Amino acid sequence: MSAFLSYLVHGIAVGCGFALIASGLIIIYRVTRVVNLAQGMFAVLAGLTASSMLDLGLPHGLAEIAATIASAAAGVILGLVAIGKRGTSPEASLIVTLGVGIFGYALEILIWGDQPRSFAGLSGLLKISDLELPKQYLLIIAVTLLVFGALEVFFERTYLGKTLSACASNPGAARLVGINVTRMGLVGFALGGALGGVAGVVLTPLTPVSYDSDMPLFVNGFAAAILAGLRRPILALAGGIGLGVAEAMVAGYAKPSYQSSLALLLAITILVVQSARRSSLHVAEQ
Amino acid sequence: MTSVTRERVTFGALVAGSLAAAALLDDSALSLYVLLLLSAIVTVGVSLVMGHAGQVTLGQGAFYACGAYTAGVVATSGLPPLLGLVLAPLAAAALATLIGVPLLLLRGHHLAFATLAMHLIFLSLVGEMTITGGDVGLQGIPRLSLGAVKLDSIRSYAYLSCLALVGIVLVTKNVLASRPGRALRALSSSEVAAASSGVPVGRYKLAVFALSAGYAGLAGGIYAFHMGYLAPGSFPVLLSIEYVVMAAVGGLGTVSGALLGAALVVLLVDALSRIATMSGMPSTAPVVLSYAVYAVLLVSAVLFMPGGLVSLIASLRAKASKARALARSRQRNIAVGHDTSRPETSRHGSPS
Repeated sequence: MSAFLSYLVHGIAVGCGFALIASGLIIIYRVTRVVNLAQGMFAVLAGLTASSMLDLGLPHGLAEIAATIASAAAGVILGLVAIGKRGTSPEASLIVTLGVGIFGYALEILIWGDQPRSFAGLSGLLKISDLELPKQYLLIIAVTLLVFGALEVFFERTYLGKTLSACASNPGAARLVGINVTRMGLVGFALGGALGGVAGVVLTPLTPVSYDSDMPLFVNGFAAAILAGLRRPILALAGGIGLGVAEAMVAGYAKPSYQSSLALLLAITILVVQSARRSSLHVAEQ
Repeated sequence: MTSVTRERVTFGALVAGSLAAAALLDDSALSLYVLLLLSAIVTVGVSLVMGHAGQVTLGQGAFYACGAYTAGVVATSGLPPLLGLVLAPLAAAALATLIGVPLLLLRGHHLAFATLAMHLIFLSLVGEMTITGGDVGLQGIPRLSLGAVKLDSIRSYAYLSCLALVGIVLVTKNVLASRPGRALRALSSSEVAAASSGVPVGRYKLAVFALSAGYAGLAGGIYAFHMGYLAPGSFPVLLSIEYVVMAAVGGLGTVSGALLGAALVVLLVDALSRIATMSGMPSTAPVVLSYAVYAVLLVSAVLFMPGGLVSLIASLRAKASKARALARSRQRNIAVGHDTSRPETSRHGSPS
């Protein structure tokens, strides 16, 4: 298999992970206007929990699901701290999520120590004519597509999903029709936690995680979310995959250490270009 | 005493106290003291940017690192170390001006992300370049010398840090009391209103950003000579966050809050790490405790004391002085003999 194709597949798989993190960020941001700086913590928490569950003898599948539920619960706790107090501004909540993320460091070191942990995912290669694809990569892609499909159905077809969309598009109007916006914010945080958790359990077999792996995960997820304009979760899939492939190419053909700087520069450039188009009056209206 | 003279007296007492501490502390306490002073210098800048220019910055550690590396590279390349110390704040301020032009178009969480990203990019660049020693670090930075005087004890760096802190506090106080300072206060509450009153919003924000970066660069320069060794690992992202914690705990936008916050956080973390390194504690205890302290301080400061320690103290003092004034007026009323309208005074204070 040519080097190009292997970079491409690797980029798509890792990009799917970024997309999962980004979609969690977007859902939380849309519903609560809070950018969750602790989004990477969910992935780390789920990866570490899954490795412990597997050590305890839980079968694959069950361990990953338990880890995802644990990170959804962490999402609810984070939400309670960040938006539970009445009158907390989104800017204050941003700093609170940062603080909770650091508290996560303390807990993670206390429970799992400061060394990276991992667990075995699917091993082996899948051969399609002369293409050899690692099965774990295919699993990541399949899980991601499944999750995004489920999200689409959730937001379009279910009552809860539509309620969340209502809060996202106009919190004031949502409150007027009797929706508890704060409670929906907590649902958003739980969903964000679960999505971050899925990213963590599928990515951990590729790269071991330690407590401080959350920063690169957050940064890449946020960059993918920015590429998606912080709007619809499904756009984040395109953003994440685009970013993952670009980084894999940079790492493959240039230098591996440049790849996260590239993601950051890309995200900053897009942000700056976007905000240069808006006038300050426009911003003040928001 | 007028408030201006009272402020001057307090300031003088603080200067004398911090110099006395530099003269009296023993060596092990001194290295903590230097750290405290350097943190205070950076925090005054962070507080200025966050409290007055109304910007969230999570990248101040990058400017600290920029100053440190500037001083380190200049000093190790054979140029006079003093030049390194002079260039450190200038380089950091220049970097801030350069990247501030595009970055300060952003606001709120976008700016927070962008400054965090800037810190990460800076670290990865420093880790790549050969002139900064890459990931291994920059070793053998000579001690600072001012003319014939060579600063080779920790105590001399404590004096130097004291002087630097006094200098930047004076600069900050004067900037805040000037016309641009009032303009800054205006733009922190409403940029649109400030702009329509003729405040050049963009230019002032950039100037404050550069000034605060200069403070961080100066502290970084002193740090480089004090430690004699620099590596990308000395400037983790958490460093930038620590400064925000210090500024938020003390109270954003006030110099005294920045000093108080830096002192409290540094001393608290040190005290806890002493407890954590006592025998019988697990080896991870110091890290766990320091992370937990930063987290709890940051969250509780943001949620429960938005004005920080400074406004907490001010409101307590106001309450106390109100209570004192009330007590005094009651006493006067009693002495004069005419009963007051307040029922509780007449109940147990009437002269009958």
